[in-house]
Amino acid sequence: MTFLGLTRKSTLRKPFRVVLLIISVAVTFFIYGLTASFIAGSQGTAAASDELLGVMNAAGRNQPLPMAYLSRIAALPGVAEVSPIVRLRGSVGDARNVVAVSAGEPDKLKAVSGEELGLDPSMLQALDTGWDKVLVGRALAEAQGWTIGERFTVSSFRTKRSDGSRDWPFEIAGIFDGKSSSTDTYFVLAQYRYINEGRARGKDTVATFALRPEPGVAPQELAPRIDALFTNSAAPTRTLSEKQFLSAFLSQYADVKHVVTLVVSVCFVTLLMIVINTMVFALRERRFEIGVLKTLGFSRSCILMMVLAEALFVFLLGGSIGIGLAKLASLALPPALGLVFDQSVLLRATALVFLLGLFAGALPALSAMRTPILSAFRTR
Amino acid sequence: MTISETNSPFIALSSISKAYRTRAISVPIFDNLDLSIEKGEFVAVMGPSGSGKSTLLNLLAGLDGPDSGDIKIAGQRLDHMGEAARSAWRAHHLGIVFQFYNLLPMLTAEENVELPLLLKPFPASIRRERVAKTLDLVGLCGFGRQNPSRLSGGQQQRVGIARAIVSDPTLLLCDEPTGDLDRASADEILTMLGYLNRELGKTIVMVTHDPEAAEAADRILHLDKGAFVERARVMS
Ligand SMILES: Nc1ncnc2c1ncn2[C@@H]1O[C@H](COP(=O)(O)OP(=O)(O)OP(=O)(O)O)[C@@H](O)[C@H]1O
Ligand SMILES: [Mg+2]
Repeated sequence: MTFLGLTRKSTLRKPFRVVLLIISVAVTFFIYGLTASFIAGSQGTAAASDELLGVMNAAGRNQPLPMAYLSRIAALPGVAEVSPIVRLRGSVGDARNVVAVSAGEPDKLKAVSGEELGLDPSMLQALDTGWDKVLVGRALAEAQGWTIGERFTVSSFRTKRSDGSRDWPFEIAGIFDGKSSSTDTYFVLAQYRYINEGRARGKDTVATFALRPEPGVAPQELAPRIDALFTNSAAPTRTLSEKQFLSAFLSQYADVKHVVTLVVSVCFVTLLMIVINTMVFALRERRFEIGVLKTLGFSRSCILMMVLAEALFVFLLGGSIGIGLAKLASLALPPALGLVFDQSVLLRATALVFLLGLFAGALPALSAMRTPILSAFRTR
Repeated sequence: MTISETNSPFIALSSISKAYRTRAISVPIFDNLDLSIEKGEFVAVMGPSGSGKSTLLNLLAGLDGPDSGDIKIAGQRLDHMGEAARSAWRAHHLGIVFQFYNLLPMLTAEENVELPLLLKPFPASIRRERVAKTLDLVGLCGFGRQNPSRLSGGQQQRVGIARAIVSDPTLLLCDEPTGDLDRASADEILTMLGYLNRELGKTIVMVTHDPEAAEAADRILHLDKGAFVERARVMS
């Protein structure tokens, strides 16, 4: 037997109780893993840049802006390139197979975010061979099993065509990879003219203008100047960086990130209370044994380490199970959910396992350490 | 080390005062208690319930400190040590035998015996060897893998004794080691303690209510109202 063996035997003395604890730790870290993956995925954060700006209607994301703004924005000093963007969301085949389409003017779009998306000139040439030609992001293409030359039809949720149908057929002209693995490539890149000509309503409007400032021009300095252009127009604008834009997009849904963080924190607090409470009670039953160990010459720090090790054992085992399940779930669930269980999620989850394990163990460990030994000689 | 120190007894308590205090009252247990025990002595401590016998053992074990007075064991001032030093001291010099054995229920007999050795820098093979030898010594060869709850009271106490002596301490403190045993088992335990005292030279301080058990000792101390009333051992 070793110290570790002694700790293991003490921990597993009431196997049912320990299993319950491990399950609660596992469930909590499963939830954490999923929500952290969701946040990591929905931000596309690592790749979102502070360099690129998006101009949208100040009245809300779903309000259009007139196409006529394009030339006025482009003429502003400090603006290198602008592309109009319209968006289309719909399903392909199965109603649950949701696909997002962003449409812009190919050459302008390449100038604005060609580098981030990994667009090359040959892709633009391929696009130019027809209005319905699109580029598909690598992640989406792999998820759908699409190849170049293949055709697919998006049934739009909102955008109707002039003939009343909602079906938008496309043909794949190329597949783009994105600059890095964290770039969000789960979308279709279509042509503005195709959507704009085809749609029944809202002709010559855009959802956003995506723009890149000239080198040396600070985006946060350029943004207010753009908005100043349109303060007195019928449709005032709001200009944000891509990063701000993405989080603004999320905050539209009742500030998802904060709600998620809150829910996860509540989970963790509850977990801590359960574990601390259970361990304090378990140790109270073992006060006597701890007293005996102390009479045998086990030091206070020794007892402290043993109880901390117990808590860490529960958290390591439960945490690994929960994190492992979350990783599996992120792989198994449809990519449209946008779960990204990457290195940073794993690192943060692991750090939390240790941190919470130590924290949960600290109180019981301190109380065990202070257990008086005098009672050892007393009759029971 | 001066001559007087080398000649001082193995255990020397001088002018020990001890009281238990609660918020309102203070219960005095000892007032200016003196005691000396020589190396290799087997001393029995008797006395009415509440006379402070267990309190005395607590002081000797460094589990509790006196309010005033000196406690010197094997040349070391116990009352000057901090908690960590006293833990280490217990691990090195002391074995304790309890009335209710105080074995850990989730460990087997041999694991219980091995516990004090975990505090020593011995490799696992040496630990196993010593555990086996000690179990053999207390007559429990072959019972090592048993859970204590499946052993008889006498056997459990022998596991308790094995645990107390496995790290080869010089001093054994026993608090009513036979208090929970029938006559035959009690006699076996007393014989064993006598053997440890005579053959292995352990100094033993044993608290007991049982006059027959006390007869196993060289010297019987009667503790009453916080003071010793020493009586010569009656040879039969
Ligand atoms: N931790 C404590 N706090 C307060 N009072 C205590 C404490 N421990 C012991 N006492 C009291 O001190 C007195 C002596 O206790 P002690 O346990 O030393 O007696 P004892 O001689 O061992 O008795 P017994 O034969 O019943 O075991 C008793 O009156 C007891 O109630
Ligand atoms: Mg007592």
